[in-house]
Amino acid sequence: MDNCMGVIDFSCTDQNFGTLTKKRAAAMLPFGGRYRLIDFFLSNMVDQDISTIGVFTGTKIRSVMDHIGSGKPWDLNRRFNGLFVFPPLYDDEKRTSVGDIFHFHSNESFFVRSSEENIFISDTNMLLKIDMNDAYKCFKESDADVTVIYKRVKDPGGRFINCDKLAISQDGTLENIGTNLGTEEEFNLFAGSLFIKKDVYLKIVRSAIEKGNAGFLKEALMNSVKRYKFNCYEHEGHIESIRNVKNYFDANMNLLDKDIYSELFSQFGIVYTKNQDEPSTFYKENATVTNSIIANGCIIDGNVQNSIIFRGVKIGKNAIVKNSIIMQKTKIEDNAVIVNAILDKMVTVENGVEIIGNHTVPYVVEKEMILSREEII
Amino acid sequence: MKKEKVLAMLLAGGQGTRLKTLTKDLAKPAVPFGGKYRIIDFPLSNAANSGISDIGILTQYKPFQLNEHIGIGSHWDFDRNTGGLRILSPYTNEIGGRWYKGTANAIFENMSFIDHVDPDYVLVLSGDHIYKMDYKKMLEYHIEKKAHATISVIEVPWDEASRFGIMAADKLGRITEFAEKPEVPKSNLASMGIYIFNWKVLREYLLEDIKKEDSSNDFGKDIIPAMLGDGLGMYAYTFEGYWKDVGTIKSYWEANMDLLSDDNQLNLYDRSWRIYTKNKNLPPQYVSEGSIIKNSLVNEGCVIEGHLEKSILFSEVAVKKNACVYNSVVLSNAVIEEGAKVCNAVIMEGVTVKSGQEIGEKDSNNVYLVSADDIIKE
Repeated sequence: MDNCMGVIDFSCTDQNFGTLTKKRAAAMLPFGGRYRLIDFFLSNMVDQDISTIGVFTGTKIRSVMDHIGSGKPWDLNRRFNGLFVFPPLYDDEKRTSVGDIFHFHSNESFFVRSSEENIFISDTNMLLKIDMNDAYKCFKESDADVTVIYKRVKDPGGRFINCDKLAISQDGTLENIGTNLGTEEEFNLFAGSLFIKKDVYLKIVRSAIEKGNAGFLKEALMNSVKRYKFNCYEHEGHIESIRNVKNYFDANMNLLDKDIYSELFSQFGIVYTKNQDEPSTFYKENATVTNSIIANGCIIDGNVQNSIIFRGVKIGKNAIVKNSIIMQKTKIEDNAVIVNAILDKMVTVENGVEIIGNHTVPYVVEKEMILSREEII
Repeated sequence: MKKEKVLAMLLAGGQGTRLKTLTKDLAKPAVPFGGKYRIIDFPLSNAANSGISDIGILTQYKPFQLNEHIGIGSHWDFDRNTGGLRILSPYTNEIGGRWYKGTANAIFENMSFIDHVDPDYVLVLSGDHIYKMDYKKMLEYHIEKKAHATISVIEVPWDEASRFGIMAADKLGRITEFAEKPEVPKSNLASMGIYIFNWKVLREYLLEDIKKEDSSNDFGKDIIPAMLGDGLGMYAYTFEGYWKDVGTIKSYWEANMDLLSDDNQLNLYDRSWRIYTKNKNLPPQYVSEGSIIKNSLVNEGCVIEGHLEKSILFSEVAVKKNACVYNSVVLSNAVIEEGAKVCNAVIMEGVTVKSGQEIGEKDSNNVYLVSADDIIKE
């Protein structure tokens, strides 16, 4: 994709994930056994030949820096172009409590200096593998100022309530963006990504700062729908909205569907992530594993069903793990029972402890917790 | 504090003829091992973990896969601004082009490179062996003994001793006798093919050795006996732990199977001595409803729908429904189709075992090597 740079915007809320986002941004949530959500966005861009990527991080930056580093796993540690990380400016005098528009404005020079004339902007609320080359072609051929990516969804179950909803006119131009309250069963779901001409982007951000009528970049863009040529591109494949613990849990579980597994993991190129150098996973004598996704470096001697197991997890003899997400280096000792739960990284569940959540409200255990059995006196 | 400078020279040109089709397209050090590694990952990771920062890899036989695997050494953190990893292939000069004749000749041919690095010590390693070893400790021993040369040795069973270079050493570890593959071994301390030399000393001996017309230019056959004959300070450094030279298909299969025992000494899960390898960025493995996996090592990208027992699966292997894999090593991208049965076998990369096909038998000592063209029984 010539002449296009990428931007990943962390502005999405991380209020609805409880302790999972206590020390990490929502975009950094572990996903699919060995990834973080951001890996899918970075890889999708890199796999389709975007070579300049700016990441506008939220304030919880430790996990971002640790994971992305120099961008090597994505081949973004380049001499020419590559990865640019923009942490928030601590001493920005114009800093307001809400919104990221100042953040984008104060890093204007990144956009001005780069040679690309178009920008692909993606937030991290929606997880999908976009056919970016095709979308880019549509953007360029229609000579739109902005091409918004959406998916027409049927949503009788209300999975996408509170997501962004597009109104598209007959000729394909975007009319407005609002919030889906579930009044229509079938609607146009905003996929969180768009292409925009760089000069239009710069004008929109400047105008929003001058007028003071937008806190977020997305807000500023939406205020300009009438002023510029906005059209739409429909995404054909799978889409996940990750806005709260439940969505996040379901999105992981959906990977157990073979088609979704292969679409998210291998369509339009593979997904790269930080390498942990884990050896293969060892299934011991008493292991019984069915319908699960297992990453490397695990030692499994227990029973695992319908679960996502991250790297370096240990599951002891007679332990039962069912409908759960077990994150990196968590240790589940013999005879423990975990059902409908999300265990964050490096949790220890001691011998015989039972953790049982409800399938609509998975039980979340915070990072590095040790769960031990009550002493019987 | 002045740091003693060490240069590791890793001999990775071996063919490994007895591994038959396993080494048809690649050098022995590039042979896959242990679910996700290649044999050379072990000495490379040992060197990285031992804090060595200068390493030369000597390649010769079918080097393409090896070169592709090693790249610029970034997986072992050897992509450095100063020092780091260099691949040393045979070259031509004004006298003409030559292949590396023996182990010592390979070092001799790269003398100008070594002089350029200007190390105090040269650590000679073989890319054919599977083991975990801290070379730093061996170097400390070498310095402490004020040795001219130190040879790492391991106790082998007496009945196998005549396959190796056998050392006899006194109480202080000083080598008194060395015999290459003796018919009647006097000791069971075998050379592991790991040497530390003072570069100045080795340099002299290499220059002498090249003048001898009848020399095979080999460390075990020529250099070591010559040094010993001159009464140089040569010491044996005894290594305890897992060390394996997989010579045949059967020993290759056995070495892989060793990893499935609970108390295997190679412990790949030890975080303090990780084995590094090229990262393939594959998705996690998927285990479907109705599959059985026991006592097995499974790597990323595998999709398991069948029955797996006492086996090692490399990356992206598919085991379809009702297929059964028992006591076997299955290399990357192989497919075991529905209802196929595989037992006591090594399935090579990309091979498809057809639906209904049966390979090998339980309760037998035979091991089968299955390639796209043929099946070899051993």
